[in-house]
Amino acid sequence: MHRTLILQKDHLLPLLRKLRKDNRVIAPVRNRFGDTFFTEIEDFDNAAIDLDQQPQTSLKSFFLPQSETLCRYVTGKHPESGALEYSFHAQVPVRTPTVYFGVRSCDLFAVMYTDLVFRRARERDIYYDRRRSDAVFISIGCARPFADCFCNATRSGPFLDMGFDLQLTDLGDRWFVQIGRPRGVRLIEEWPAFFTLASEADRKAQFQVELEARGLFRRHVHVDLAVKLLQEQPDHAAVFAELSRRCQDCGGCAYICPTCICFNIADLRLDEDGGERVRTWDACTFAGFTRMTGDCNPVDGETGRVRKRFLHKLLHDVQKHGRPSCVGCGRCVNMCFGGVDIIRCIEMLAAEGENGSGGRW
Amino acid sequence: MTFGSGAMTNSIAEIGEAQVILVSGSNTTETHPQIARRIYEGVDRGARLIVIDPRRTRLARHAHIHLQIRPGTDIPLLNGMMRCILDENLVDDLFVEMRTENFLALRDMLYRVDIAQCATLCGVDEEQLRLAARSYARAQRSVICYCLGVTQHVCGTANVRSYANLAMLTGHVEQEFTGVDPLRGQSNVQGACDMGALPGVLSGYQPVSDPSVRARFERAWRVELPTTPGLTVLDMTHGDGSSDDAGVRALYVMGENPALSDPDLGRVRATLAGLDFLVVADLFLTETARLADVVFPAASFAEKSGTITNSERRVQLMRQAIDPVGSSWPDHRIIIELSRRLGYAMNYQSPAEIMEEICMLTPIYGGMYHDRLDNGEGLQWPCPDRRHGSTQYLHKYSFTRGRGRFEPAGHVPPAEAAEEEFPYILVTGRVYHQYHTGTMTRRSDLANREYSRPLIEVHPDDARKLHLRSGLAARVVSRRGSCVFTVRVSERVAAGHLFATFHFAEAPVNLLTGSASDPVARCPEYKVCAVRIEREA
Repeated sequence: MHRTLILQKDHLLPLLRKLRKDNRVIAPVRNRFGDTFFTEIEDFDNAAIDLDQQPQTSLKSFFLPQSETLCRYVTGKHPESGALEYSFHAQVPVRTPTVYFGVRSCDLFAVMYTDLVFRRARERDIYYDRRRSDAVFISIGCARPFADCFCNATRSGPFLDMGFDLQLTDLGDRWFVQIGRPRGVRLIEEWPAFFTLASEADRKAQFQVELEARGLFRRHVHVDLAVKLLQEQPDHAAVFAELSRRCQDCGGCAYICPTCICFNIADLRLDEDGGERVRTWDACTFAGFTRMTGDCNPVDGETGRVRKRFLHKLLHDVQKHGRPSCVGCGRCVNMCFGGVDIIRCIEMLAAEGENGSGGRW
Repeated sequence: MTFGSGAMTNSIAEIGEAQVILVSGSNTTETHPQIARRIYEGVDRGARLIVIDPRRTRLARHAHIHLQIRPGTDIPLLNGMMRCILDENLVDDLFVEMRTENFLALRDMLYRVDIAQCATLCGVDEEQLRLAARSYARAQRSVICYCLGVTQHVCGTANVRSYANLAMLTGHVEQEFTGVDPLRGQSNVQGACDMGALPGVLSGYQPVSDPSVRARFERAWRVELPTTPGLTVLDMTHGDGSSDDAGVRALYVMGENPALSDPDLGRVRATLAGLDFLVVADLFLTETARLADVVFPAASFAEKSGTITNSERRVQLMRQAIDPVGSSWPDHRIIIELSRRLGYAMNYQSPAEIMEEICMLTPIYGGMYHDRLDNGEGLQWPCPDRRHGSTQYLHKYSFTRGRGRFEPAGHVPPAEAAEEEFPYILVTGRVYHQYHTGTMTRRSDLANREYSRPLIEVHPDDARKLHLRSGLAARVVSRRGSCVFTVRVSERVAAGHLFATFHFAEAPVNLLTGSASDPVARCPEYKVCAVRIEREA
């Protein structure tokens, strides 16, 4: 079944209100300071759903929280031997059906990428898997890309062919609705009154919007070229040396990146009798990420770390999964105070490929 | 003192538009990353970057000119630069004539300055010094950013005045994209100063010695105020601690950890131990709180509402995000309750009500009501009333004090020089992943992993001489104490210098530092202390 439907704009909020009855509804909401974040909506009358700005953070933290207690542990004495004994109590997230509304293609694509890591065959991360299997995505195809977007170059947008439950396209006074995964079908079946069948004219209008969107990108980022150059020769010492001069290893790029999912696990002792095992985000640009006992570090120096991050995105993931893991959201461009972002990296690689000399800032 | 206002004269965003950026005594990428963003922005637009720093910081690596001076030689360096500007006719005569006073004193002093001698004294190349002077003076838009590397010296005040002299001599103040900008450290240190957390002033830098100022506050508070300035921190924490001492007998410390952060810790700890009564309000049980008779658990930034004033004088509203953890209270509630029990009933329903009183009594904060600050960006002082908007840069048509005053300064050698027994100069500072005494960051797993141990940076030449390698333990000894660090051989320090941070209680570097301080600001000389270093078995 590949039906296409129309949802009148006036009916969107009422639909979300209905969905709220059995689900958490998460949508981009502008807060009182003018910043837009994915936020759970509890009060539909006073929440400013904002579809005009890119949410400042992706959906990553909803599936892999920045800090998450995996289990609690209690220390005690073994009843017979009297030896110190640990008992662990898992803290598995409770099931909460959740509708993610207003998700941009890049962010949804990023979730599909992280699935590759956390839900591969039978090796499933139970914490991630719980949250992920409770998720319904109503995504929005980007009719107008934002300033630093380049998802056309990473082929993760502006519109998707799969991965969404419903994908909406803005046709002015109405939303054009494409149905993707089975949950999208179920949603339509549950609330049929909100939708009408799309006409041929609607389909043409949607096609037109999608076509125009591809021409509206302000950034022209040669991702494929950079991948090819790295495949030919992954060294590019001059480029990475130049880039890393400004990296202060703050980890901001990895934290903001929707597909950077490295984590660290630490046991936090809370009192005499026990504590928590906590998983927190980590970043490969941190020196401590690879440091071993005796201060030995296999990925040494700032150049090595910066290089590792970009090679992971543009080369290692291509080898492993067949495509770069950058989704072109452009968030790292504004995050890095030194300007060490993926666009700069790709541009410098391309410039070096062109004139053979080391990339300059 | 030279201009009449103690804050960044310009706004942070303006730095990115300057043509010459002179950064002195600031490891900006590690301590002020968002300002470093503007500096990089400026450099990318073609600005010349001049860095004055004894260490080869990351920013120094990007500098067009890095003047790697000996610690404590800012004044001779600047006098040399100003002499060069004078010799080459790069003085902004009109500005000097119209807007400043006491120029002749500076000029006469400069005529006695020998540039070559200055360069030798500072340990920099004379031609580089001249180049820096020319670049700074010739550009239309030159900005100076300085930080604690300038102020934490026995001549800190004179250092700052010299930078102000340089800016006035070339007319690089009171316009957009110019100015003299001190980069403030903690998120609200500017706000604390603005609110009169200084010995000699009430809020908004109104001198306590001025009867009309006192009268205004006395009317509002219905109490009589002391007429003389209070004590500086250094005076409080470096008493002799004995009971016949006429000094401090009781201390109430809020969110500060002098038992780790103040110089000459041996004395500080003796003083704190000798007090009759010590109260500490902090988030965690700090080294100071452990010595206290009473500890108040204070709420963190996320658990309270109020305002934060940043480096560029921007007052921003901060809203409570979570309920106070455990039994902690916001500071204002602790103070109100304490005051009530001491017999002075403060009656404030909310931080907004406290802000109303601040607006009433503080001319520079006159229009900073909470409802106005709720615009996402806040307001930059001075903002005298409700109709007044933000002030992007200061001293637009005249200096706060009228005319800018040139205060010529001569070289003041640091309190301690390298000598036979203590042949190395120790400079203290900060690193990216830790914050001050680590009250918060030492409790963050990841931040602590990134910089987990007290390190001491040693230049490769010195390391060779001393048979030190990275990873070895080394004992550093000064006249006052000794600490053990892990060696990190690094070219970031010059030969003969060492660098350590004060983040670690296990190697409290302030056991080594001295309490010699600037006579005006009483800011201690954290940046220079003579030590020796030896391999620890």
